[in-house]
Amino acid sequence: MSLARALESRNQVIFSVYELFIAIRHLRSRRRQTILSILGIGLAVMILMVSQASMVGFTEELYKKTVDNMPHVTVEPKSDEDYIYLYRSLAYDIREIEGVTGASPVLSGQATFAYKDTSRNVLMQGILVKEHNTVLHTEKDITEGSFRDLEVTHKSVILGDSLSEKLDVKVGDTLDATFPEAKPTTLKVVGIYDSGTPQDETLAYVPLSTAQHFFDNSNVANSILVRVEDPDYAQPIADEIDAVGYQASSWMETNPEILQMIMIEGLSNFIILGMIIVIASFSMVSTLFMVVMEKTKEIGMLMAMGVPRRSILTIFLLEGGIMGLIGPVVGVLAGIVVSLYLGSITMDIGEEAYGGVSTFPFVVRTKDAVMIVIFTFLLNLVAGIFPARRASRLDPVEAISSE
Amino acid sequence: MSEKNIIQITDLTKVYGDGVKIKALDNVNMTIGRGEFMAIVGPSGSGKSTLLNMIGILDTPTSGTITLDGVDITKASEKERSKMRNQKLGFIFQYHHLLPDFNAVENVMMPLLINGIKPTNARAKAHTMLKEVGLGERINHKPRQLSGGENQRVAIARALANSPEIVIGDELTGNLDSKTSEKIYELLRKLNREHNQTFILVTHDEQMAEKTERIIGLVDGKITEDKST
Ligand SMILES: Nc1ncnc2c1ncn2[C@@H]1O[C@H](COP(=O)(O)OP(=O)(O)OP(=O)(O)O)[C@@H](O)[C@H]1O
Ligand SMILES: [Mg+2]
Repeated sequence: MSLARALESRNQVIFSVYELFIAIRHLRSRRRQTILSILGIGLAVMILMVSQASMVGFTEELYKKTVDNMPHVTVEPKSDEDYIYLYRSLAYDIREIEGVTGASPVLSGQATFAYKDTSRNVLMQGILVKEHNTVLHTEKDITEGSFRDLEVTHKSVILGDSLSEKLDVKVGDTLDATFPEAKPTTLKVVGIYDSGTPQDETLAYVPLSTAQHFFDNSNVANSILVRVEDPDYAQPIADEIDAVGYQASSWMETNPEILQMIMIEGLSNFIILGMIIVIASFSMVSTLFMVVMEKTKEIGMLMAMGVPRRSILTIFLLEGGIMGLIGPVVGVLAGIVVSLYLGSITMDIGEEAYGGVSTFPFVVRTKDAVMIVIFTFLLNLVAGIFPARRASRLDPVEAISSE
Repeated sequence: MSEKNIIQITDLTKVYGDGVKIKALDNVNMTIGRGEFMAIVGPSGSGKSTLLNMIGILDTPTSGTITLDGVDITKASEKERSKMRNQKLGFIFQYHHLLPDFNAVENVMMPLLINGIKPTNARAKAHTMLKEVGLGERINHKPRQLSGGENQRVAIARALANSPEIVIGDELTGNLDSKTSEKIYELLRKLNREHNQTFILVTHDEQMAEKTERIIGLVDGKITEDKST
C-alpha cells in the first residue's frame, strides 16, 4: 500500500493548511533566528558537499591511475595444474560473461635480456596484442615504435622506457633473451612504452607464441587477465570464474590497499562531517525549543481553539522540517558552486600521494547532492520531534496562564 | 436531561495538589439552559476559573461529570474533546491571547481554519465577525497595533467565529476601563440575543454581574447562591 493511500485510509493528510500557515508565520516572525538556523545547517551541508565532491574526485582519480591500469580480474590455473591449457576457449567463455569487456591470455616468466655488455632480469610477458589491448590499453602508453608491430613481427619485444635506458637499446635494435631451462632467442625491439609505474623497469611484452617458444611450452598460458565494465563489480565476476575451478581473483583481492585507502578516507570524512551536521541540527533544535517556550501561551490558546495535540506536534515538526529542508538545499547549492570553483583550480597534493595521484578534480554527483539533502532533512525532522513533543504535551490551562 | 439544558454538571469535584490537597471545586451541581446569559461571581480563589476551565474542556475533573449538549465530556476522547472545543465552545480570557504573528482577520479566521473551512470562506466569515464587533476597518492590524479594548473585540470575534453554542469569558473585561467594559458587555448581550448562544462570564464586577440574567455565587468551591434577575 502506498504512503498516500495509507494516509488517505486514515482519512488524514500529512498536514493541514492552518498547521502550515502557523508554522510559516512562526518562522517568519523570528526571521533572524530562523535564518541563522538555516545558515548553520546550510554551512555544514556545504562543507559536506565540497568534501564529498573532493572525495569522489580523489577516488575517481585514484581509480584512473590504478584500477584502470590493472586487470580487474586475474585468472590463474586450476589449483592442481601449472598452466591454463585451454586458454583460448576459457578466454572466449570469460568474454561471454555479462559485464566483461575483455580477456587476455598471457604467459609470463623470468628472462635475462642482454644487449652488448649490459644485461637485466626482466618479466617477459607473452601476449596477444588485440586481446591485451582490450584489457590494459597498453597501446596508449607507447612512446616509440608501434604496439601493433608486436603482432606482425615474429620474435619482437616492447620494453618500458626505464628498461630500454638501462640496456641502452632503441627501437630497431636486437637483444638476446636467455634463462636457465629456456630456449635462448633474439628479440627485435619494436616499441617503447611509458606507463609511469615501476613496471617500466621490469616488464617486457613479447608475442604469446614467442613466449611459448622461449619457455618451451606451446599452447599454454599461465593467466588470463580480465577487464570488466564496472570495476566495482569485479568480485562477483571473479567468483563466477572461480566456480568453474580456475583461481580467479579480483583487483580488490590483489590490491586490497586501494579500497582500504578509499574506505579510511571516506569513513573519517563521514564521521567528522556527520558530527558537524549533528551540531548544526542541535542548534536548530535549541532554536525550536526556544520557540516552544516563547510560544507557550499561544500553544495553550491554540489548544483552547480546538487544535488537537497531534496538530501542535505537526506544526513544530513542520517548522523543524522547513528549516531542515531549506538548510541542506541552500547548503548543497553553495557546495556545488564552491566545488566547481575549487575544481577549476589545479590542486597539487604532492607526489607522495598514493598511486601517483597528484592532482584531482572535484566531482559533483547528483546522487550525492540528493542523498545529503535527504539525510540532513530526515535528521532534522527526527531531531525536531523533541521540541515538537514538548509543545504537544503542554497543559492548556497552565500554558495559557504562563508568564 | 431536557433538550433546553445545554450544560449539565453533576457532583463535580476538582482537587489540586499531590501533598497538600486543595479542593478547588467541591461537589458542584448545576444545569445551564440554552441561550442563558449568566455570571459566576465569588472571592478570589473560590474556584471560578477552575469551573470555567472544566466547562471549556481545558481541564479534567477529579470526579463528577459534565455533559455538554448531550455529550459526557469526561468520557470523550482527546480527538472529540478538541473538536468540541473548536465547534461548540468559544473562549475569551482576561488577556486577549491573540496570536501576535497574525493580524486581526487572521486571528479570527484561525478557529474556522482549524474547523476545516476553506481559507477564502474563513476570511469572509472572519471579516463579517469583525464588523459585528465593530472592527470592520482595522482588520489587517496585528495585536500590538491595536488597543486593549480593540484586541478584546478581536478576541470576541474569534471566540464567536465558529458560532459556538457556549461562550465562556474569564474576567474578560478585567484589563479594560469601566467605559470600555460596559461597551463590551453590551456587545456580548446583543450577540447573545441575536444568536441565542449561551454566555457564561466570570466577573469580579458586581455591577456587570447585575446586568446578566442569572448569577451563580461560588465560595470555597461550593455554590452558595444561584439567583435569576
Ligand atoms: N494548577 C493548580 N494547582 C494547584 N492549585 C490550583 C491550581 N489552579 C488553581 N488552584 C487553586 O484552586 C483554587 C481555585 O482557583 P481558581 O483559579 O479557580 O480561583 P478563582 O476563583 O478563579 O480566583 P481569581 O478570582 O483570583 O481568579 C485556588 O485555591 C487556587 O490556588
Ligand atoms: Mg480566576
